[in-house]
Amino acid sequence: MTQATGPVEQTQADQSTVLESLRTRLADLKDEPGSLLEALYIAQEMLGYVAPESIEIISEELGYPEAHVFGVVTFYTLFYTEPQPKHIVRVCRDLSCHIAGATKIAARARQEIGAHPGHASADGLLKLELVSCLGQCEKQPALMVNLDVHGPVTEEEVTDLIRSLREEDQ
Amino acid sequence: MPELLAVNKNLFVEDAWQLDVFKGTGGYERARRALTEMSPEDLIAMMEASGLKGRGGAFFPTGMKWKFVRADPNTPRYVIANGDESEPGTFCNRFNMELDPHLFIEGMIIAAYAVDSHFGYIYIRGEYGRAIERVEQALADCYADGILGDDVLGSGYKLDLRLRRGAGAYICGEETALFNSLEGKRGNPRFKPPFPTNSGVWRKPTVINNIETFACVPLIVENGAEWFQELGEGDENAGTKIYCLSGVINNPGVYELPMGVTARELIYEYGGGLPEGRTLKGFKPGGASAAILTSEQLDVRLDPSIAQYDTIMGTGGVIVMDETVCMVDAAYRDALFFEEESCGFCIPCREGTPNLVQILERLMHGQGVMADLQLMEEIGDSMASSFCGLGQFAYRPVVGAAQKYRDEFVAHVEGSCPAGSCAIANN
Ligand SMILES: Cc1cc2nc3c(=O)[nH]c(=O)nc-3n(C[C@H](O)[C@H](O)[C@H](O)COP(=O)(O)O)c2cc1C
Ligand code: SF4
Ligand code: FES
Repeated sequence: MTQATGPVEQTQADQSTVLESLRTRLADLKDEPGSLLEALYIAQEMLGYVAPESIEIISEELGYPEAHVFGVVTFYTLFYTEPQPKHIVRVCRDLSCHIAGATKIAARARQEIGAHPGHASADGLLKLELVSCLGQCEKQPALMVNLDVHGPVTEEEVTDLIRSLREEDQ
Repeated sequence: MPELLAVNKNLFVEDAWQLDVFKGTGGYERARRALTEMSPEDLIAMMEASGLKGRGGAFFPTGMKWKFVRADPNTPRYVIANGDESEPGTFCNRFNMELDPHLFIEGMIIAAYAVDSHFGYIYIRGEYGRAIERVEQALADCYADGILGDDVLGSGYKLDLRLRRGAGAYICGEETALFNSLEGKRGNPRFKPPFPTNSGVWRKPTVINNIETFACVPLIVENGAEWFQELGEGDENAGTKIYCLSGVINNPGVYELPMGVTARELIYEYGGGLPEGRTLKGFKPGGASAAILTSEQLDVRLDPSIAQYDTIMGTGGVIVMDETVCMVDAAYRDALFFEEESCGFCIPCREGTPNLVQILERLMHGQGVMADLQLMEEIGDSMASSFCGLGQFAYRPVVGAAQKYRDEFVAHVEGSCPAGSCAIANN
């Protein structure tokens, strides 16, 4: 399966090549009724988000009106219509994690990332999201970096984690 | 009472997710027997006799569900495993999908044969990366080994199963929303009736069961209906339940126990109780949707009969809270979850959930008034008419907490947090 998130590094120049190969990859899905979400995963994997051009291509290839595809993209929180930072740090804010200190974890993540939840860091590498239960409650407080699960995490570990993500990209 | 291991038995078998290891535990022999030696009618009767009820929260008798699907002449029929598991405090399906994916797949094969279905889907929430990988691998191994495809286990029966991912939407665990999602649509629920047994995915008769429900099926075929029936505690309860334990507890995790174990046994005997020096204040018996019970209610049985205490068993996700947890804050967490996850399709839920969030925020900031407590109940009354289960349950934990811990809510109106942990206390 394609990766759910984890944007790819992309230059302007090869966007059109990518879009053409999206068309090719969608071929497999044409005979698979209802595979729109899978198509969106593929589109998102290729560009890091579901671009308007990708919506156009999916609409053409799979035969949905563009408005339908857009409506579906915006319904699901794992799909993005804007380019995303490389690392999305998803901190669970639901009850079990909250009781175990998720608010402090989120505060630390926000401090390290240096941006409000939902906004990219100045270096464009990271973003914090406060999310619903990740189904990892025994690891309270839990977080995910893209789809990698960490938990239980301490504030110090959050600092280390985010610093190491930054160092990876030096 | 020792922890019972039936559905979770293979969680302690190294690499049980690998096909050859799974087969070594008797895996797929149950399906082979079902498909070659039993009639679909016998299988359905066996499920009915076992007393198996759906583990997804509604506890509908599984045998009856299959019978309804089989009785509908419309074809093709579909079989779906619901692996959306997004209820806060719930994570047991994840263990089964990651560590023992073949067990529920074997259950799906038996179910498909019982209702004469040749196509099914496994729907897993998109955040479950590891489970998705393991189930994908399991399916590939099944096809390579002739367990799925045109000649299932040499029986001549044809069955295809597809893995599909959700993409971050709790509501897609609701069966009709899940069908819409599988069909490539927004995950809004559909009106019921017609029920999925007659009009499910692609408007065709559909068996949809929880991962754990399917995982029970091969064990029933192997050991018999009576064996399963007797695993439960009390007359109404058959089988085991995999309870999830989190919150203020020494040993958070999954515990497979007789269905109907008491909260006290789960929390103190298996979960190791609360950490030194912490005292129990209350617990949620079944995820966010379940209203809280107090420390005086520890002896309730964790089974559907818990409804008599104005709460629900739900998914068996037990969340433990101690004296340091502010009940306004806890209610706020639930409200926030439902506000975020409301699909926005109907007005009582779309408007009601943010209204509850705002009131609880006011209370936690010392800006609440007594009328707010009344207002929450009125909002709850209007939300009762919501279109689907999400809205019909969302207000209950909030209103329930305000009733049970009224003094604490009133204290917030008066400007203090007795637990000393919410926003007022931190100002
Ligand atoms: C808001 C909402 C969310 C639900 N989420 C799930 C879920 O994540 N997993 C699940 O198995 N059932 C979930 N259900 C219950 C399903 O609609 C359905 O009853 C269940 O999948 C049937 O399987 P069972 O009979 O084996 O329990 C949910 C119901 C509602 C109302
Ligand atoms: S109750 Fe909530 S989740 Fe259900 S249909 Fe209405 S808005 Fe959607
Ligand atoms: S409550 Fe945080 S992962 Fe479930």
